[in-house]
Amino acid sequence: MIELQNVSFEYTATGANGETLHKNGVRGLDLTITDGEFVVLTGGSGCGKTTITRLINGLIPHYYNGELNGSIIIDGVSVPNTPIFETAKKVGSVFQNPRSQFFNVNTTDEIAFAAENQCTEPERIKEQIAETAASMRIEKLLDRSIFELSGGEKQIIACASVSVLSPDIIVLDEPSSNLDIEAIEKLKAVLTDWKAQGKTIVIAEHRLYFLRELAGRMIILDNGKVVKELHAEEIKALTFDDTEQMGIRPLSLSDIRFNGCKTASQGNTIRLENFDFTYKDGKHGINIPELELPENRVIAIIGHNGAGKSTLARNICGLERKCRGTLTLNCKALKAKERLRSCYMIMQDVNHQLFTESVRDEVMLSMTDKALTDEQKAGRADEILAQLDLIEYADTHPMALSGGQKQRTAIASGIASSKPVIIFDEPTSGLDLAHMKQVAGEIRKLRDMGKSVFVVTHDLEFILSCCEHIVRLENGEVVQNYELTNDNFHLLTGFFDGH
Amino acid sequence: MQIGLIGSSKNVIFDPDPRAKLSMLLAVNIVMISGGAAGVELVLRAVCAALPFLLLLSIRHFRAAVIYFILLGTAVYCEGFVLPYTHGIAGILLMIPCGILTRFTAGYVMCWYCVKSVSVSEFVTSMEKMHTPYFITIPLSVMFRYFPTLGEEYRSIHDAMKTREIGQSVKNPLIYIEYVLVPIMMSTVRIADELSAASLTKGLSAGGKRTHICEVRLTAADRLLILCSFAMIILFFVF
Repeated sequence: MIELQNVSFEYTATGANGETLHKNGVRGLDLTITDGEFVVLTGGSGCGKTTITRLINGLIPHYYNGELNGSIIIDGVSVPNTPIFETAKKVGSVFQNPRSQFFNVNTTDEIAFAAENQCTEPERIKEQIAETAASMRIEKLLDRSIFELSGGEKQIIACASVSVLSPDIIVLDEPSSNLDIEAIEKLKAVLTDWKAQGKTIVIAEHRLYFLRELAGRMIILDNGKVVKELHAEEIKALTFDDTEQMGIRPLSLSDIRFNGCKTASQGNTIRLENFDFTYKDGKHGINIPELELPENRVIAIIGHNGAGKSTLARNICGLERKCRGTLTLNCKALKAKERLRSCYMIMQDVNHQLFTESVRDEVMLSMTDKALTDEQKAGRADEILAQLDLIEYADTHPMALSGGQKQRTAIASGIASSKPVIIFDEPTSGLDLAHMKQVAGEIRKLRDMGKSVFVVTHDLEFILSCCEHIVRLENGEVVQNYELTNDNFHLLTGFFDGH
Repeated sequence: MQIGLIGSSKNVIFDPDPRAKLSMLLAVNIVMISGGAAGVELVLRAVCAALPFLLLLSIRHFRAAVIYFILLGTAVYCEGFVLPYTHGIAGILLMIPCGILTRFTAGYVMCWYCVKSVSVSEFVTSMEKMHTPYFITIPLSVMFRYFPTLGEEYRSIHDAMKTREIGQSVKNPLIYIEYVLVPIMMSTVRIADELSAASLTKGLSAGGKRTHICEVRLTAADRLLILCSFAMIILFFVF
């Protein structure tokens, strides 16, 4: 049993100017989770759901600094007073980012890692790995390099590495945020098994649809406090309107409504020809002899893992020089090198594309027009920042911004570059409802400015809130290419239902 | 770069213990770096030049082995039989690359072989068997683990610079370095932070004892290899 009694926690951090900042964790929280319960924590970014997972696995107060009050007790033992490696025997943790939760390069070593730390006999560990692998059906993933695996496979290995110690309690912090629908299904299967084994599961999530049947209790948080608690029956009864009103993601994909396209296409097209590209491994790549797409629209690129979505985005952008294909825009056929000059990509991890010391410099860096003076550039930059609600951060260091603000800074740089094509690589991974809607709004703004926008995404709700055209890839080839209308809507839902 | 993947696959003909590999690495580097080719030294150098070739064969990297053989063979041949007949600039132009190749190729290939064939956990286990303290083995293993990640991060940043059309246009190399380093350091800090948190929840603690599933055992062949490596080093210094 997990008991949190009157728990308050505030993170202390150092701000951009060296001052001490207090960031919200949780306030006056009372929560009791009984053995075998499946609890879903949800709410907007910064609501405190991740903090609760850290209170349970002991990272607070043993790793994250801050002010902690109240008591956290697991099976009668106080977590803050127990060394974290003792808590680790009882509580397993799965994190959001599959890239940064592996200590080893080899998958088998990684699964063994937790057991090795507990000084389990090597023979016993090997048996446990074999059992875990068999029950999770991941024998194929054993003894491989972490770097060869897809995001979904990494997350399954993360689950296996927790499972091997068979802890009674498992906490998961936004495990689905970097996963596609197929991988989410596999994650769901793992969670179902764990639930059947009677484990206590605490999961902090934005995407909720895959938890509908599993959740025994759902706790909605806001600003560090519990605002609503729902039980299994109530969760299943939630409709799209209910979740919309509560500000959380829907609990069923089929509930999501489609309002139809508002504007008609003007008829100009973008033509892709001979997009043929294979990676060095000779297996993955794309082969698109011809593809015609509408100009000045928001085009979603969908498909299963490894279908070539990101590869297509990289090739449209001109990042792969070996690709001989051309993209015809405004009657001009652009080769890879020229495409680099007319396309702008907003990457999944925006941290990689911010280079300067202030948000304004970042935007000005993209203005390559030599005719402009620095003052004109700064003026234009401020205009763009005002459009994206960033003007108050114009002098802030980009790395001091929140994730959403960083993404908007990258979008602002894209606008400043005055390139006609803007590509987003999974812009909504790990976003709550409010932020997802904000990104959708920004993408519509870009469209209204006359840009053609491509979006690589797994997020049905997001597609329905801003995309107008769909391209579906499978095995590197275009299998569907259609305008998103009421008549074609079933094609899209068909894909997300798994056909 | 993929680290330690070869050792785990089954088609390896002969896989020495990491400690044997390390002592061979040491011997090859010490012996090959000197350019002498007389008496005992000639024999030692011949053995040390052959070692990386045989080890490449043992992990079935036949192409790399052939390239190594041709490269080193040509360099040695040039140094021994062509160089005496050249004079002036031509002689220097030939001597410098040949000298570098004969001295460093074997050491470099040996190093590449070790990095490729020793996995992180094998490395940690064998370090611990040699009674190296944790405060050395754990940071070292994290470093090994981090190299490929660093490569991934660098590639993403390079792509971002290309799409933003900066990089090529930056004339000042210092600014280029800043543009690469700032995002790399930012993501390094973040990944290191998340990695530490994850390993803590898996029970890694400073000073605690651990067990290992990977078996690192010195076989008779390994002992022989270590003995020979050290014998070569001693012979090299005595003569």
